[in-house]
Amino acid sequence: MPNTTVSAGPGVTYDEHYEPKLDWMDSKGQWGMKAEPGKHGLTLEDIQMDSYGEAPESSSIRSGRQRGSAAREWNYRSGAYYVNSKQDVWLRNAGGLYEEALQRQWSSATDIPWETIKPLPDDIERAACQFTTFLSDIEFVAADIPGRWVATISPDYLETRMFLMTQMMDEARHLDVFRKRALSNGGGLMRSSEDTMGGGVVSIDMARDFSEMSARVHVIGESPVLTIFRTGELLAKNEAEKRIYRLAAQDESRHVAFGIMHMRYIGQTEPERREEIQTYLDEGEEYLFSGSAVGSAGTDRSSTASMAVLLGGGKDKIDEGWRLLMAINRRQMREWVQRVKSAGFEERFTNGRAHPEVLKLLRN
Amino acid sequence: MPTSEEKIEDQQKTGVKRHQRILQEIVEEEASETPQLSLDWMEHNLEWGVRVKPGKKGLTIGSLNVGIYGEVPEYHEDRTRALRGAYPSAERPFIANINLRHKRELWADNAADLYEETIQKRWVPATDIPWDTIEPLPDDVERAMCQLCTELCQQANVEYETVAGWIQQMSYGFHEVKVFLASEVFDAARHFDVFRKRALSNGGGLGLESRAEVDRVILQSNNDWTSTCLFLHVLRGSFTQTLYRYGEMFAHNPAEKAIFARCLQDKARHLTYSLAHIKYSFSEQPRKERVFQRVLDIAETQMVRDLKDPVLPESLGVIMGNGVEGVRTGMRRVGNLLGDFVRTYLANARYVGLDRSERLAEGLAVYRDM
Repeated sequence: MPNTTVSAGPGVTYDEHYEPKLDWMDSKGQWGMKAEPGKHGLTLEDIQMDSYGEAPESSSIRSGRQRGSAAREWNYRSGAYYVNSKQDVWLRNAGGLYEEALQRQWSSATDIPWETIKPLPDDIERAACQFTTFLSDIEFVAADIPGRWVATISPDYLETRMFLMTQMMDEARHLDVFRKRALSNGGGLMRSSEDTMGGGVVSIDMARDFSEMSARVHVIGESPVLTIFRTGELLAKNEAEKRIYRLAAQDESRHVAFGIMHMRYIGQTEPERREEIQTYLDEGEEYLFSGSAVGSAGTDRSSTASMAVLLGGGKDKIDEGWRLLMAINRRQMREWVQRVKSAGFEERFTNGRAHPEVLKLLRN
Repeated sequence: MPTSEEKIEDQQKTGVKRHQRILQEIVEEEASETPQLSLDWMEHNLEWGVRVKPGKKGLTIGSLNVGIYGEVPEYHEDRTRALRGAYPSAERPFIANINLRHKRELWADNAADLYEETIQKRWVPATDIPWDTIEPLPDDVERAMCQLCTELCQQANVEYETVAGWIQQMSYGFHEVKVFLASEVFDAARHFDVFRKRALSNGGGLGLESRAEVDRVILQSNNDWTSTCLFLHVLRGSFTQTLYRYGEMFAHNPAEKAIFARCLQDKARHLTYSLAHIKYSFSEQPRKERVFQRVLDIAETQMVRDLKDPVLPESLGVIMGNGVEGVRTGMRRVGNLLGDFVRTYLANARYVGLDRSERLAEGLAVYRDM
């Protein structure tokens, strides 16, 4: 028997003559919840109470039912949730990252002091435009692809889904703010990125597993970009650019944190996947430290060359720019090592598996 | 609670200190031999000399549409993620699943402005709702309110599942639409969040899941974005908007009033984009009238099936009758609500060029004059 009235009857009209049955009143989730706001307001963590806070190890939701609500046994299986294992998507405190993202939203239209941008020498403006074309080009990849996953993850893992949606908003703003910079100082967009042709983005698109996607987007893809945003003071020529990099770094650090914490969760709960994850890290290091990534030792990339011009302060000072770029590259490596250790995959740095450039850095 | 400006300032200070440490390390790095770096990209630009200045709303994404950067193509040939107006890079592979490349498939002139409006009007369920104003309600009213929140969570869930899946298929020639829809997904996440929080904050809990007839047809409308807009925005959106309006009218406390008012503002943006898009799409391909009318036939049929399920209407009746005892009065108001919904829906359909007056499903037509 269905647990509530299936239909109010043929030809029913809701008006003052309608006779309510009200039998749905007894079909409900756990009752008596009284979440109270804490010092950060009423957060997702505050409502993770009893059955509402319990993400199951395996999700049986096939309709769009929300975690903790009462099920209709006869409902359609309209949700296409093929990611229905907690291990595949979980991390500690995705809800906290979601709330932080909401608190730290910013506006590229009004929170950037655009009036501080002043005309620059032509070579520097071209480098700034090339580099911001590159950033505008790559950033929204990290919205397109997480967006693809939102509808495939069971609603039981709502905190993960909520975080991914804040990331989509962040990346929209990044596409937007770097385009604004390129078109606001007498320049224009430059050459489309070649870097999205490389192994990084292609393998992100090809990932058919959430954890693989997260490793490639959040850890391998966004980790080096975060380092660049953090060193944006060196690339910036005015207060507007400095603020863009600082605010973008804040967003990017949440995305990287998501990836690291998810990787840590897999490492702890699915030891049989450790080797698979290490393989992604192998590929990541090859991608990051063999000359094909931003700030790497690559010589054929417009983004790398434009960074060298910006860092040096002109194309005639490219040697100085290169020196700083190499320093940033080493910084990327050091931060990479810290993050991989934090994710719990540090054995690659002691068993000789890590990329030779990384091992060389660690020896020194 | 610090203001968002103060928060940004604090973050700036912490960020600056961290950056200073990192920068010092970098500056002290030793020199290494510079390889031959190609600077050929310096000549790779399609239009130079663009200097867009901020206006009274700041530097908006729509204001960047000058010269070639504002030339929105009828058909965007490029199947990669290259930006509109950028110098094309040779031999980029077509890895991304970008299928929507005709302007008529997704465009709306207002998308850029609506995107900026979303950001300016951002709000946070955790801190912008006066949760402390929620007071215990009679059991039956609380149960009904929680049922409404459960339904609205599920409607938001369908919205973000659907829109998030479409964005990746949209061409980068129309980035204004992509970023606007990312903001719609973000809004829908916030709606889910706020209604779940309301349900779990006043001695109640979640109720019974939706019947989800309309949900199913929205989720399965995955072959044509304009049809999705008809299902998701013109039909369902008109309904959700009406629920928010009545929710605000019958709110029990300032917290609920704020919740519905904020959500209503967001929902208006979603409909504004969608109506503009459908109207444009229809004007570009008037021969599709029969298709679009048929889509709405299907949508109405599903809506009528949803309405046969008494759970949502009865819960609204209890809320608007202020309890089970007043449910008859409440049901009369439900009739008014459904009447407002049907009239809003018909007006929205008419706005995009689809006259439904002779085709409206019988199960909805009964409310037209209520």
